[in-house]
Amino acid sequence: MSVDSQVDTQDADLQLIDALARGELRIAARLITRIESGDSSVASILSKLHARGGNTTVLGVTGPPGAGKSTLVDRLLQQFRHRGQRVAVLAVDPSSPFSGGAILGDRIRMNQHSADEGVFIRSMAARGRLGGLAVAAGDALQVLDAMGWDLIVVETVGVGQSEIDILRHAHTVVIVQTPASGDAVQSVKAGLLEVGDIFVVNKADTAGADRMQSNLREATAFRADPHDPACWLPPVLKTQATYGSGIDAVIEAIDAHTHHRLTHPARWAQRLRAQMRVLLLEQLIDLQRRRTVEDPAHQQRFERALDEVLARRCDPHTAARKLLDASE
Amino acid sequence: MSQSPMPQSKIRCLLGMLGTDVHSKGIRTLAQLLRDRGVEVIYLGEHNTARGMINATIAEDADLVGLSFSTATYLHYTRDLMEQMRAAGLGDVPVMLGGLIHADDEPALREMGVRGIFGPGSTMDQIVAFLQSATGKTLPSGISASGA
Amino acid sequence: MSGDGQDDALRAAGIQAHLDDVSVKLSRTATWSGLETKASYGPEDVAETDYARDLGDPGEYPYTRGAYSQMYRSRMWTLRNIVGYGSPEDTREGIENALKMGTAGINVVIDTLSQEAIDPDHPILSADAGQEGCSLPMVSDLEILLRGIDVTKTDIAWHSTMMTYPLVAAMATRQGKDLSQLQGSHMPDHLQLRLGGWSEAIVPAGLGHRTTVDCIEYSAKHSPRWALGCPQAYDIRERGMTAAGEIAIGMAIINQTFGDLIARGMHVDQVAPSMAWVSTSDIDFFEEIAKFRALRRVWARTMKERFGSVDPRSQRLRLACHTSGRSLVYQQPLNNLSRAAVQTLAALLGGVQSVETCTYDEPICIPTEEARELATRTQQILANEIGAARTADPLGGSYYVESLTNQVEAEALAMLAKIEAIGLIKAIEDGTIESLMDDYNYRHHKELETQQRIVVGVNKYMPKTSTLPKRFRFDPTRMTAHIERFKQRKAGRDAQALAQRIDALYRIARRRENSHQAMIDALVADATIGEVWGTVRCANDLPYDPFKAIESPFTYTKP
Repeated sequence: MSVDSQVDTQDADLQLIDALARGELRIAARLITRIESGDSSVASILSKLHARGGNTTVLGVTGPPGAGKSTLVDRLLQQFRHRGQRVAVLAVDPSSPFSGGAILGDRIRMNQHSADEGVFIRSMAARGRLGGLAVAAGDALQVLDAMGWDLIVVETVGVGQSEIDILRHAHTVVIVQTPASGDAVQSVKAGLLEVGDIFVVNKADTAGADRMQSNLREATAFRADPHDPACWLPPVLKTQATYGSGIDAVIEAIDAHTHHRLTHPARWAQRLRAQMRVLLLEQLIDLQRRRTVEDPAHQQRFERALDEVLARRCDPHTAARKLLDASE
Repeated sequence: MSQSPMPQSKIRCLLGMLGTDVHSKGIRTLAQLLRDRGVEVIYLGEHNTARGMINATIAEDADLVGLSFSTATYLHYTRDLMEQMRAAGLGDVPVMLGGLIHADDEPALREMGVRGIFGPGSTMDQIVAFLQSATGKTLPSGISASGA
Repeated sequence: MSGDGQDDALRAAGIQAHLDDVSVKLSRTATWSGLETKASYGPEDVAETDYARDLGDPGEYPYTRGAYSQMYRSRMWTLRNIVGYGSPEDTREGIENALKMGTAGINVVIDTLSQEAIDPDHPILSADAGQEGCSLPMVSDLEILLRGIDVTKTDIAWHSTMMTYPLVAAMATRQGKDLSQLQGSHMPDHLQLRLGGWSEAIVPAGLGHRTTVDCIEYSAKHSPRWALGCPQAYDIRERGMTAAGEIAIGMAIINQTFGDLIARGMHVDQVAPSMAWVSTSDIDFFEEIAKFRALRRVWARTMKERFGSVDPRSQRLRLACHTSGRSLVYQQPLNNLSRAAVQTLAALLGGVQSVETCTYDEPICIPTEEARELATRTQQILANEIGAARTADPLGGSYYVESLTNQVEAEALAMLAKIEAIGLIKAIEDGTIESLMDDYNYRHHKELETQQRIVVGVNKYMPKTSTLPKRFRFDPTRMTAHIERFKQRKAGRDAQALAQRIDALYRIARRRENSHQAMIDALVADATIGEVWGTVRCANDLPYDPFKAIESPFTYTKP
C-alpha cells in the first residue's frame, strides 16, 4: 500500500467517524452492512473505533424463542424514552440453516417506536457464522457506540454458544424465561446462569411462574459469595411484558446493576477482562478458521487434508497442525 | 450441509404494508418463500406509516422495499411513500409492489418510480429474478426449500 | 424428413397437448384441508356411529343433522347480500338497490377505517375512508344511513365488530327508543380481528377479548333480541386454516368467552340462544358439509356438557355462512360463478341458516351491481330449480359424509386441546396460532407450485385471454363532502359535555369495568368512534392513535 493511499484511508476513516458522531444513520447502517458481509476493508475503521470506544452502556437481553424478549425490549424502550434517553437496538436473529435466508421480525413488536428519531433499531441475521457472530455483533456495537446513543440494547436468542458470547459485550445482561420454558436448570443454559445479571420470568400470569421464579433463585444461588457480601446477586423478577406490568422493577434492577458496577470498579475491571478474554479468543479462532478453511486458497488444502484423514493416511491431530503451519 | 459459509453479501429486503389494510396473508407467505431463497427479510407487518418504513429502510440498510396491497388505495399510499423516500435521499432504493394490483394502474405506478409490480398470477421466479436484477446481488441457486 | 412430416408431428403434439388440457383426471385424493380419502366407504367406516347419540333427527340433540326438524320447509335460509362503500349516502343507495333485487334484510359492511375505530379525518389514513365499506364515524352518520328505518323493528346485519353495537345503541338512545327492543346483529369477536391482521397494534388480544366479553354481557342484558355473530370464524378460516381448524379456533374463542361470562355471573342459556357461528363455505364440497355437521355436534355437546346448558336453543347452533372469498381467483373470473354456486349448495346441504354468495368479481374489486345480481340469482336457482331445500340433511347416512364428519370432528378436538393447553390468549399473543396459519398458507403455496393442488386458471388450464371485468368505481364527491361535514360536526359540539362523558369513560375503562354504557353515553354526546376507542386505548396504557399521528385531544382524570 502506498503512503498516499494510507493517508486517504486515514482521512476517509476520520470522516466516517465524524459522520457517525454526527449521528448520520445511513452511514452507520451501511458500515454495519459491510461488517455483516465480512468486508475486510472495515478493519482500519474498527481499529480506530475501538481506540475511542467503550463509552455507551450496553444492555444485553436474551432468552428462548417465544419468551417475549422483543416485547420486553419494546416496553423498556418506552421507559427509557420517557426518561429522555436515546437508544439504539441491535436485534440478532437466527438464519435458516437450509437457505441462509432469514425472517427478521423483531421490529414489529417495537413498531410503536418506528417514527421516533430517538430510537434506532437494526436487525442482524446470524448467517451461520458459528463463533464469528459474536465478533460481527461486537463490531456492529462499536459502530453504535461511536454514534453517541445514551444506551445500546442487544437482543439475541439464547440458544447457541455464539449467541451467548454476544452477551459478553454487555454491561448488564437480562435473561428472559417463561413458566413454559420448563425446568430452570435444564432450560437455562449453564452459560446463561453465569452471565445473567437480572433474570426475568415473563408471562407471569401463566401457571408455574412462581415455581420458575424460585427455581431460578435456587439455580443462581451459587453466584452469592459468602466472602464478599457486596457481590451482585441477580434478582429474579416477574413481568407480563404484553401488559406492561413488572417493567418498572426491571428498570430499577438495571439501574441498580449499573450503580453496582460503577461503585465496584475493581470488580468490573475483573469482569471486563474475563469478557474480553473470551472475545479475543473467539476472534483468534475465527481468524484461524477463515485462514485455514474459508479462504479459497486454503480451501483446497483443507479438502486434501480431509481426504488424507478419511483414508487414514494421516490422523486429525497431525493434519490440523499441518494446516495451521501452512497458513502462517 | 456445508460448514460455516463465508459471511457474504445478502439481499436484505424490507416487507410491509401501509395504511389500514389488514390483508397480510400474502406478504407473510412471501416472507417465508423469500427466506427459502436465501433472502434476509426484514418483516414489518401491517399498519406502517411512510415515516416508519423510511426509518426502517435506513437503519436496516435495506436493498429494496416490498409493499403489499389489497385495497384500492395503493396509488395514494405508494405515491406518498415514493415522494417521502426521495425526500429522505432513498430515491435509489428499489420499490416493488404486490397483491391486488390492477394492470391498468401499472403505468401510473411506473411513473412514480416503482420498479417491480407483481399482481395476481405472478410467480416466485419472477420475484426472485427481479430481486437479483434490482439489487445486482445473486441469491444462492438450487436451494431445496424445505425449511418448514 | 420432409417439411410436411415435421408439420404433422407438431400438429399431433398440439392435439395431444390440447387433449391433456381438456381431459379431467383425478388430481388429488386428499380433501382440500389435507384429510386423506379412501376410494370408497362402507358400513365398517361408520360402525362406531350411534344414531341417537351422534346424529339424532334433525332438530334433535346433538343437532348433527340440522338445527330444526323441518329445516327449509319451516324457514328458508336468508339470502344475504352485503352492501357498503363510501359515505352513508352512497351505502344507503346501495341498500335500496339490493332490496329491489331480492335480498332479504339489510346487510352492511363498514369501511376499513371505521372497522379499526379510526376517524376519517386522520392525518395519514384519510385515503382509506369509504374503502371496502361505509364510513360511519359518528351517530349522526348512522342516522343518515338508516333514515326512516326503525332499529327496533328492522333486522340489520352488521358485518363489523369494533364500536358497532355501541353506535347502534347510541342512535336508538338518542331517538328515545327502548334498548331492550333493539333488533339486528353484529360480530363482537375481537380476537378474530387480532388474528385477521388488525394485529397487536390495533387490537391487543387481551383488551380485544375483554371488549368482546363486555359487549356480549352488555347486549345480552340490555338488548336480548340483538343477535351476536360469534365466533367470526369466517375470517380466521380465510386467513389460512383447515375446516377442522375453523372448528378448533372458533370453539377455543367460544370456550374462553363463555368461561369469562360465567365468571361474571352469567348463565350460558342467557347468551347462547342469541349467538350464531359465522362460517365459510369453502371449495371442498364434502368437507364443508362434514364441517357444518361436525360443528353443530361439537357445539351442542360443549354447551350441554361443559357449560351446563339446559335450554335447547343454546345447544342448537345456528350458522351464518358466507361463501369463501379466498377460493375465488383473479384469473378468468367468470369461473368464480361456478365455484360460488357449488359452495352455496354445500352450505345448504350442510344446513346453514343464512348464506351470502360471493360475487364473481370479489377478487378484483368491490362488487359491481351486475355481479351482485348474479350472486342473488345463483341462490334463487338453488332454491327454486335444484331442489336443494327439499329435505333436511339429505346427505345424512352417507357412509362417506358420516365418516368425514367424524374425521373433521376428531381433528378439530385434537387441535382445540392443543390450543387450550397453551391458553387461547397466550397462543394468540405468542404467535402460536399465527404460525399455524402461516404453515397452512406456506403448504398451500408449495402444493400449488408442485401441482399437488390444482386451481383452474391459476396453476393449470390457464385462460387463453385475460379480459377482466369492469372495476367498481364510485364518485368520491359525496365522500369528500362527508369528511368535511364530519369536521364541521366535530367543531360544533358541546365540548364540555363531551369532555365529561369521555373522562367518565376513561375512568371506567381504567378500572377495567364494562365500559359499554360509558361508550354509548359518549357517542350520544357526539363523540366519534376514534375518540371513544382512543380513550379506551389510553386507559389501557396504549397510544391514543395506533399510528401515533395524533395525540388525545382530551384530558383524563387519573383515578
